[in-house]
Amino acid sequence: MNSLVPYSHTLVLAGGLFFLGAACTAARRSLVMILIGVEVMLNAAGVALVAASLRWQQLDGQALVIFIMTVAAAEVAVGLALIVHCQRRTGSLDADRYRLMKG
Amino acid sequence: MKTVLLLLLVLPLGGALINALLGRSLPRRAVEGVACAAVLGAMVAAACALILAGGRAHDLSFLQWFRVGEFSAAMNVHYDPLAAVMALMVTFVSAIIHLYSVAFMRDDHDYLRYFCYLNLFVFAMLVITTADNLIFVYLGWEGVGFCSYALIGFWYREEANANAGRKAFICTRIGDIAFGVALGLFFVYFSNFSITYINSHATGLSPTLVTILALLLLWAALGKSAQLPLTVWLPDAMAGPTPVSALIHAATMVTAGTYLLMRLFPLIRLSPLALLVIAGVGAVTSLYAAGAAWAQVDIKKMLAYSTISQVGYMFLAVGAGDIVGGLFHLVSHAFFKSLLFLAAGIVIQALAEEHNIFRMGSLRRLLPGAYWLFLAGAISLSAFPLMGGFFSKDRILLATFIHPGGAYKIFWLLGMGAAFLTPLYTFRVFFVAFPERPDGRRAEEIHPTLRFMAWILWPLAVCALGDGLLNLPGGFGKNFLGYYLASVPGARPDLGAGVATEWAMGLMSAATVLASMTLAYFLYRRRPALEPAITGFWGMLFSGFYLDWLYERIFVRPYQAAARFLWQQVDDRYDQQVIVGGARALFRPYRALAKFCWLQVDELVIDDGVEKTADSLVTVSRGLGYWTTGRLSTYLKMLFLGLTILFGALALTWHLR
Amino acid sequence: MNLYAGTFYLLAAVTLGSTALAVTRRNVMHAIIYLVLSFFGTALLFFLLGAPFLAALEVIIYAGAIMVLFLFIVMMLEIRPAEQPLGLYLRQWLPAVVLGALSLAVLVLIIFESGADLSLPLAAASPREFGRFLFQKYWFSVEIVSFLLLVALVGALYLGRREE
Repeated sequence: MNSLVPYSHTLVLAGGLFFLGAACTAARRSLVMILIGVEVMLNAAGVALVAASLRWQQLDGQALVIFIMTVAAAEVAVGLALIVHCQRRTGSLDADRYRLMKG
Repeated sequence: MKTVLLLLLVLPLGGALINALLGRSLPRRAVEGVACAAVLGAMVAAACALILAGGRAHDLSFLQWFRVGEFSAAMNVHYDPLAAVMALMVTFVSAIIHLYSVAFMRDDHDYLRYFCYLNLFVFAMLVITTADNLIFVYLGWEGVGFCSYALIGFWYREEANANAGRKAFICTRIGDIAFGVALGLFFVYFSNFSITYINSHATGLSPTLVTILALLLLWAALGKSAQLPLTVWLPDAMAGPTPVSALIHAATMVTAGTYLLMRLFPLIRLSPLALLVIAGVGAVTSLYAAGAAWAQVDIKKMLAYSTISQVGYMFLAVGAGDIVGGLFHLVSHAFFKSLLFLAAGIVIQALAEEHNIFRMGSLRRLLPGAYWLFLAGAISLSAFPLMGGFFSKDRILLATFIHPGGAYKIFWLLGMGAAFLTPLYTFRVFFVAFPERPDGRRAEEIHPTLRFMAWILWPLAVCALGDGLLNLPGGFGKNFLGYYLASVPGARPDLGAGVATEWAMGLMSAATVLASMTLAYFLYRRRPALEPAITGFWGMLFSGFYLDWLYERIFVRPYQAAARFLWQQVDDRYDQQVIVGGARALFRPYRALAKFCWLQVDELVIDDGVEKTADSLVTVSRGLGYWTTGRLSTYLKMLFLGLTILFGALALTWHLR
Repeated sequence: MNLYAGTFYLLAAVTLGSTALAVTRRNVMHAIIYLVLSFFGTALLFFLLGAPFLAALEVIIYAGAIMVLFLFIVMMLEIRPAEQPLGLYLRQWLPAVVLGALSLAVLVLIIFESGADLSLPLAAASPREFGRFLFQKYWFSVEIVSFLLLVALVGALYLGRREE
């Protein structure tokens, strides 16, 4: 019994999700939205890995997804803490306001 | 075993390197401690190696130094009983001398340089002792030569000392040329520099070639061991500090020549002619030097000539085919000669650098330690019956006497002559310098020396007096050293002379020595000690048969004249005419060319070009600078752009594959 | 077209759509809610692709913990939707959309050029098998990752503290 879903379609789906997340990170000005874009990218990677794991019938892909999720969680925690810290320091979450790297 | 031998070589080298690199920032005691510990460690390593070796030969390879085709210089070691005994002697005597030096050089500010060179010297000597590959030996050979130069001229601010160092180096270099030629021949005929290989394959060569090789090696050994005709550097080398004289010019470097001949003995003995020449050189030198020593007034110069004479005995032993006797005498000599030098060092320091024996006197009362030590050394050197040097010298004379061939009987006579003179000159110095004299030194003139300097020498004195036990010709422990060396190719533990001959020899030697000592007593103890005039026969002996004078006339003066001629006539004139005139001729067109280059090329092309390039760069950088907004969002967009480009490039390359 | 394929394409559309919406909302709160929906879709996709355990984890960790954390932060910091004229907003989006579309095109080209394409088999990894596999082969990484979480915890605590 077959699924009739070609593997390439899953990869396209994952790619689409990934570039949506990348666009979000690149285009938005709010720091929170930038972080959300990163989350979307990580999730897309997870989709691709699970599909690969199914295609090659090996569980390594799924194991990697667990680690990705863990790392994403850790990264979100620290990232949001940083955002809170920045908000307290500068009063704004606008990415354009952070210009210290100029020059 | 490999570790032990590695430690043996590496410890002195390490000591030298540590002191050289870090010594300036270490306290004085630390520097001295490192140097002494390095050599003491090497001594322990030598003892362990000797025990572990168990009388067998060991061949070990440490490092492949360099290799070009067939030409291979590897740091290989051939540790056989010969090397074992030599290494132990070298490290033992070096250790005592290092400890003595700590006290001797206590007022010198240049101690760091001293100890570095001393350690380096021990390393180089141990390389010569243990090395199998002849290039490795050559490394050690040059190393001892260099350290000897550096240490003889240690107090280089006095021109005479620096000259002495140079003289030593040049004389030994003349010998080293022969070594280099021999190395070349070894490569051509053996394609291998290994001593073991050469020794075992020597029988395949033609007799002429063997003789040539042996004579070349003899010439090399002559340079290092200060035998005729290259003896002139050793008396002058006494300009160095006394411990240096004790180590380098009594116990180790001067014996390196003999040692090399002993290592390559299986090769050398294939040529009876070479053996004859070696024995002849040894015998003649020993008599020559004994005569010269008789006339010296400087205590160190006497000991230097005495060294030349005793090393002559070692050469005589090799020439007579008895390397056991040669090594035995080498070890004995190391003990008693360094003892004599170091005791003399105590005297010299106590009398504020007085070397002339005729200005000493009454030292028995004033310096009792030095008195007894010097006496022990003198007894050993004179080959007093049953003490120290008696057995070794006796064995050599026996070997020479029983060797077939008339020439050897003549050599024996020369050797006996030297044996007669040795106690004579030794006790001449002893009786002039030490006993109580009305015109001797008084207590106030004695500078304080450390008592440590005296009591560190007692082990050496015991060894000097008792080392006859190493190789007694009969009775308990008979030929102990001989049997230990039995596995060394060419060694004969037993000379095979009849018992009657041995006894006759021994009694004759004893009688000679006693007669000589009695004569010395009557000549020098009974009569007041007056400094003799250096004229006539006495003057000839004093100057070493005018050898220095001869070399100066034959070699040095013409060379200096030639150099002066070349400098003033050829060089100066060349400068004037050729160089200056030529420069003038080239001047005019060069000027024109320079003007053209300046105006056309330099200003137009180069300067303008540079300016325009700079302008364009500024424009570009301004354009790029537009993008460095410092804004986070901009950078994120740039990241995405980069990612896209990268991705596209990867896809492209993948697609094209 | 069987049930499996139909479900897959439906879920794919839902996920893509809700992600697109989430990404384009001006109000952060709206964006987060849409994103939660997207993660639900992803979780169901995981289930379909034979990883039931991961599906559960996706809901628990991503939708449950991470998004809730986002909500907390947004509410704590009282983030208001940014007042920006539409023109400016669109101008920001232009480079991102262009680049994204370009990359997606390249990706699709690569995928469909690679030749033989398999249909996904029907399989599922039970949590037991998966757990055994994970702790057998990747036990070391699990340890490291747990350490990483500790580090993140400390970091977040430190960064978020109130400076008196």
